[in-house]
Amino acid sequence: MADSPILLVRNAARRFGGTVVLEDMNLVIERGSIHALVGESGAGKSTLIKMLAGIVAPTGGAIEFDGKPAKIDSPNAARKLGIGVVLQQPGLFPERPVLANLFVNREPLHNGLVSRREMEARSRALLRQLGLAINVHAPLGDLDPAERQFIALARALLENPRLLILDEPNSALDQRQSERLFAALRGLKARGMSMLYASNRLEDTLAIADQMTVVRNGRDVLSKARQDLTVSEEAMIGQLRQSLFPLPLRALPTLAATLRPQLTIAKLGGGTLNGISFMARAGEIVGLAGLAGSGAQELLAMLFGQRTARTGKARFPDGDGLPRTRTEAARRNICMISGERGNGLMPDKSIAFNLSVVVAGARDWGTRWYSPKVALDRAARQIEALRIRSAPETPAASLSAGGQQKVVIAKWLEIGPQVVLLDEPARGIDIGSKQEIYALIRQMAASGCIVLLHSRELSELTGLSDRILVFHRGRIAGEVAGADADAAALQKLVAAGAPAAENRQTKQEGVA
Amino acid sequence: MTKTETAPQLAGSANPRPRRALRLPAETGAIVMLAVLLGLLGGLRPAFLDPGNLWPLLGQAAVPGLLAIGMVFVLAMREIDLSAGAVFHLCAVFTAMLMAAGIDPWPAALGGVLLGVVLGLLNGLLAITLRLPVLVVTLGTWWMIQGLSQVADKALTIASPTAGGGFFAMLSAKAFAMVPMAVIVLVVLAVILHIVLHRTRFGYRVQAIGSNPQAAAYAGIPTAQVRLLALGLMGAMAGLAGVIHVGAGGSIAPGDGSEFGLLAIAAALLGGTSLKGGHGSIVGAVIGMLVAQAILSAIALLGVDAAWRTFATGALVVLALAADRLLMLLRKRRSGHGQDGLFG
Repeated sequence: MADSPILLVRNAARRFGGTVVLEDMNLVIERGSIHALVGESGAGKSTLIKMLAGIVAPTGGAIEFDGKPAKIDSPNAARKLGIGVVLQQPGLFPERPVLANLFVNREPLHNGLVSRREMEARSRALLRQLGLAINVHAPLGDLDPAERQFIALARALLENPRLLILDEPNSALDQRQSERLFAALRGLKARGMSMLYASNRLEDTLAIADQMTVVRNGRDVLSKARQDLTVSEEAMIGQLRQSLFPLPLRALPTLAATLRPQLTIAKLGGGTLNGISFMARAGEIVGLAGLAGSGAQELLAMLFGQRTARTGKARFPDGDGLPRTRTEAARRNICMISGERGNGLMPDKSIAFNLSVVVAGARDWGTRWYSPKVALDRAARQIEALRIRSAPETPAASLSAGGQQKVVIAKWLEIGPQVVLLDEPARGIDIGSKQEIYALIRQMAASGCIVLLHSRELSELTGLSDRILVFHRGRIAGEVAGADADAAALQKLVAAGAPAAENRQTKQEGVA
Repeated sequence: MTKTETAPQLAGSANPRPRRALRLPAETGAIVMLAVLLGLLGGLRPAFLDPGNLWPLLGQAAVPGLLAIGMVFVLAMREIDLSAGAVFHLCAVFTAMLMAAGIDPWPAALGGVLLGVVLGLLNGLLAITLRLPVLVVTLGTWWMIQGLSQVADKALTIASPTAGGGFFAMLSAKAFAMVPMAVIVLVVLAVILHIVLHRTRFGYRVQAIGSNPQAAAYAGIPTAQVRLLALGLMGAMAGLAGVIHVGAGGSIAPGDGSEFGLLAIAAALLGGTSLKGGHGSIVGAVIGMLVAQAILSAIALLGVDAAWRTFATGALVVLALAADRLLMLLRKRRSGHGQDGLFG
């Protein structure tokens, strides 16, 4: 019994409507080990974890916990079994005090009243171990994202779980904080804790995992102990993604670089941004790398007229400065495509309607009136060009996530964009659609667009960009040419804000 | 397990600055507003600050104040109950009719409160089974309940036989010859509900649901039950307010308390309860109701036409919303997490 694995998942499956997210997924977690779950985003990791957390019900397969068949049909059932979960978007309560977050739904009572003193006493040691020096009575929203992530971890640990599940726990952490997290996790392992660690950063998982399972398209394709992993297998996992990215199309090399239209940004500041200067030329894909809050997203918002800049100047190819509103941006052929769910899509309207919103909202087709017939015609053309497998009249919600994202991109193609701002354009969609969207991005650049691409997936940046600007705490910390961009070096730059050699600068920034 | 000796090797100081931002209590705005109002009115009409004027003012604030402290729970849950004023009226009519039918005042009063609870639970059941926001459900039930009281009272004032003895004597009595009974009831209940909101699991759950409904469900909180209970509590407070109104005044007229529902929402918002949920302040709601009543009585005091009362109530709601919104924006800016709501 003691030798049986703590968790065994056999042939787990999950469908949402017609979309298969998990299919024949197997997983075995040994006691007292850290088991990594590696895979692209959209491969089904998060769904598997939600299944184990009792949030998503499986449509097939069996789960055994501690050698006994287990039915996890609610979050409370998972908790009762001893499964502690740290979700990717932590289920925390920003308005509530830290203590209320830590003890949510199991507040200790004293004479029938919630005892703050006991909550404090029970959490103090743990928070100190995690290196958190915070005011536990302040609202959680006052903490920075990294601290919030540690609070989510602390909450799971307070339940004394037998299996700890972490879904991309370091996506909001910089290098130092990640190391702190890893140290904490190794400490837990030394005490006999079993862990499941899901991530799409191979480097991290190699650093911490004892065993790993690679997930692709809802299936486990490889499951091995870390030390048994051969170099070639390691390389294979790393290169699973390389095939995703199409070869660059070069359409404009004949034109002298200086003659091409360009976007010039000079000393742009405002919000967290400070002194951002760079230049991007037509036909070029410029990657923007950076952690959440590093300013990359903010820059895109500024260029799209969503936020106002405090200082600095920008010069767009049409000779004007920053757009003041989103409508102005759309009229000037600046487009913003975000991969955030629900962003830019009206799910219950038809595909044709969705494709025409930008034109109808900010521009026109030569007539002043919205014409359903024109919309249908144009939609049919776009649908064919982008291989969206559906009729223009069907509601956008009936498409898969990838299809929906293609609609979001296609509606901007209608206006013939000149500057394309991409914010994680391929997040959470299946590999096939990803490939098509990557090809589209290449095509846009080749046809003379200026493309700025922000992504948290570094492989996406290295695979697509001609060069990559790395943002750190609102500044550009460095620039890496696409050709010699390797993910590991880039990762270091993103996390530390300085190339690995310049440790001193890192420290100074840490203090500042 | 929590005693793991992880003590991670921290490079430098792990957390450079535990932020020590000065955080004003949520009630600050309402307190300042009340002080300014009292100062202004006292300066313009010194008679306003006379105890003989202030205590009745408090008495007037007490009945809608009960609605306001119930509303805090609903708002903290990120919901809005529009029907509270109508529930108040129907319960008052119901109680008065029971008494007029010869039923002893105490059981009649209990009946009134129970009716409030039932109506509140019905709102909750509808919201849960139809998966609708309470705001939408109560938009309908508000009219239904108001219609019921119109059917019941036939647009007439219902007076209860005040000869009932102890009940009326108690509710229309004044403690220390000054303090209306309703004020004492409000103070006692405000203290109790303050403890319920901030020191019980129920209160924690209500605010957790308001702060992040999905996370609350993921944490295993029985959200439907909590919602039901909070709306039942709201109904009970509205019912009790109706009973006290009848007990203190001896009658209920068709127009009585028509603005109480909105007034309660406005008072709670003025008092620092967030429309976005996740945080509530009972004390703030009481102070907010005092502000509202001070403004309304100032209209009478300054000799403005009484017809402006309705306008003033509406203006107050807008003011409360603006205050709520501004506070939130300010806090967001100060906490400086730039990425929040970037693409909102």
